[in-house]
Amino acid sequence: MNRALPEMLPCSDMTVLQRQRARLKWQAEQFQQQSYFCELSGVFTSQNVHVQGFQQGGLVSGCGGGDSVLSNMEMTRQLKPDPGLEAAWPELGKVDMGFGSCGYGNGPSFDMNHAISRTSSCPPAVAAAAVEVKGNAEKMGSAVGRESFKKRKVEKLQNSKVVAEDESKRIKASEEEEEESKITGPNTNKITNHKKENSGDTSKDNSKVSEVQKPDYIHVRARRGQATDSHSLAERVRREKISERMKYLQDLVPGCNKITGKAGMLDEIINYVQSLQRQVEFLSMKLATVNPRLDFNIDNLYAKEEFPSCTTNFPTVGMAPEMANHSPYLQFNPIQQVVSGCGVEMGMGMGMNSSDMALRRTISAPVSIPDASFLNTTCFTGPQQQIQPSAPWEVELQNLYNVAFTDTIEESDLKMEM
Amino acid sequence: MDLQNMNPSSLKSRFATRFLRALTKINAQKPISSSSSREIFQRYRRIKVAADKSMAYSVRSRRSWSRATLWRLRTRSPRSRLATLARRSSVKTRTTRAASHGATVVDRKSHGKENKEDGGVEAEELRELVPGGEAMDLCNLLDETAHYIKCLTTQVQVMRTIANLYSLH
Repeated sequence: MNRALPEMLPCSDMTVLQRQRARLKWQAEQFQQQSYFCELSGVFTSQNVHVQGFQQGGLVSGCGGGDSVLSNMEMTRQLKPDPGLEAAWPELGKVDMGFGSCGYGNGPSFDMNHAISRTSSCPPAVAAAAVEVKGNAEKMGSAVGRESFKKRKVEKLQNSKVVAEDESKRIKASEEEEEESKITGPNTNKITNHKKENSGDTSKDNSKVSEVQKPDYIHVRARRGQATDSHSLAERVRREKISERMKYLQDLVPGCNKITGKAGMLDEIINYVQSLQRQVEFLSMKLATVNPRLDFNIDNLYAKEEFPSCTTNFPTVGMAPEMANHSPYLQFNPIQQVVSGCGVEMGMGMGMNSSDMALRRTISAPVSIPDASFLNTTCFTGPQQQIQPSAPWEVELQNLYNVAFTDTIEESDLKMEM
Repeated sequence: MDLQNMNPSSLKSRFATRFLRALTKINAQKPISSSSSREIFQRYRRIKVAADKSMAYSVRSRRSWSRATLWRLRTRSPRSRLATLARRSSVKTRTTRAASHGATVVDRKSHGKENKEDGGVEAEELRELVPGGEAMDLCNLLDETAHYIKCLTTQVQVMRTIANLYSLH
C-alpha cells in the first residue's frame, strides 16, 4: 500500500540536492526535531511550518523540490489505496496531537522521539505511514541513500526512534533506490537507519530483508538482533537468494509442497532430475526400436484433402498448461502441432483445414512439410491413450506420415544444425 | 484452443524441429528392419546423443549446463583422454574465474566443505546430475537446475509424442 507511493513518484536529482542541503541544515539544528514532527502534523493540518526545506523529501518524495505540505497532503490523499490506511489517518493525527502537546518547544529531541514512539502504538499501517513521513524527511538529501543501509551503523539514530520505522525504511529503501540514482559514496551521516528498533508493534511484514537490486548496491535490511557486518550481510543475501530459488524449484518439481527443509527438497530435486533423465533414455530407446514405415507416396500429401473431423480428448500427461490450447487449425509452423500434440484436449475439425493445410504446404518451406504431417498424426495420437484411431483416420494418417518421411529423406540438403 | 498462439520459437518448437531432423537423419542411415540388438543399441545411443544435442543447441550458450553438454558431446570419444584432461583444466579455469569474479562466498565454497556446507551431500549429487554443475556455487546451481528441469520436461514431452507417432504403425 505504501509501496504504491514510490512507484508513482518520479525522482529528480534536483530533489536530491535540495534534500541534501536540507539534510545538512537539519543536522545543524536541533530544530530538525520540530520540523520533523511538523511534517508529521503537516500531513493533517496542512501546516507549512519550517517544513518547506524538508518537504522535498516528504511523503511524496520526488515530487520535485519545494513541494508544499499541502501538495504533499494532496498527493498522499490521492495515493491512499489502502482503506485501512485511510482509517488510520485519524489515529496518526492523534499521534500528532500527542506530540503537539509536547509542543514545538525545545524539548530534548529524545523526548520528542520517545513521545512519538510511545504514542504511535498504532497499527503498523498507520505507523508505517507516519514513519514514512518522517522517514522521508530523514532520507531526503541524505547521501545515505543506499550506503547507509549497507553500512549498518550501530549508532542509534538520534532523531528518530519511531516505532515501525523499519517498515518505512524498508519502503523507503525501494523509494530511495528509485530516487537517488546518483547518490553514492560513503555516508558519514549520523542519521542512519535503525536496525534494531521496534519495541512494540513490529509488523508481520517486517520480517524480511528488502533487497533492492541496483547495479551498484544491493541493499539489505538487517533484522532485529542480527549481525550487521558485511560478511553476514552477504551471507544473508545469499541465503535469501537460495531460498528464493528453492521455492521456484518447489513449483517446478511436482509433489514438493509438503517438504520443507533444504536437504529434503534437494533430495526431491535430485530424484526428479534422475527420473527425467531416465525417461529421456527410455524414450530414445523406444525411438530406436520403433520402426517407422517407409513407403513413400508424395501425392498423398497433396491429395489428402479430406479429413473426417474427430474430436478426441487427450488427458494431460504432465503437460504444460499452454498445451491446453488446441485447435484444429493447422499452423504455418506445423512443428507447433507436434508440440501441441504433446498433450491436452483437442477438438479437431480437421476437415476445415485440409485445404488450408495443402495450401500452406505448397507455400511453406520444404522443411516444414514433413513436420506438417506430424500435425495430423499428433492431433489424433497425442498421448498414449489414443492408440486406436478410427480406421479411415488411421489410413490417412499413415499415408501422411509416410509422405512426411519421404519428403524429409529426400530433402538431402536438409542440414541438421549440429 | 488456439494453436496459432503457439510460439514458433519456443524452446519446445526449437527442440522438436532439431530433434526431428536428427531423427530422420538417423533413420535414413540404416534400415531399421534389419536391426540386431547391437544395432538397436547403437541407434539408441545415437538418438540419445541427438536428443541431448538438440536440446543443448536449442538453448545455445545461454545456460551453463547447455554449454557443458555441448562441450561434452564435442569432445567425446575421438579424443577422449586429451579431451578429459582439457575439460578438467577448463573446469578449473572456470572455477578460478568464478572465484575471482564472484563474491567471496564462492571462494569459500570452492575450498571445500571445511567452512561451509554449501548444500552438503545433496548438492554434490545435484552437481553430478546437472551437466556443468561442478564449478558452481549453490545459488547458480539451483538456477541451472531449474532451467535444466524445464528443458528436460520439454524434451520428454516431445520425445514421447514422437514415440507415439512412431508406434502408430
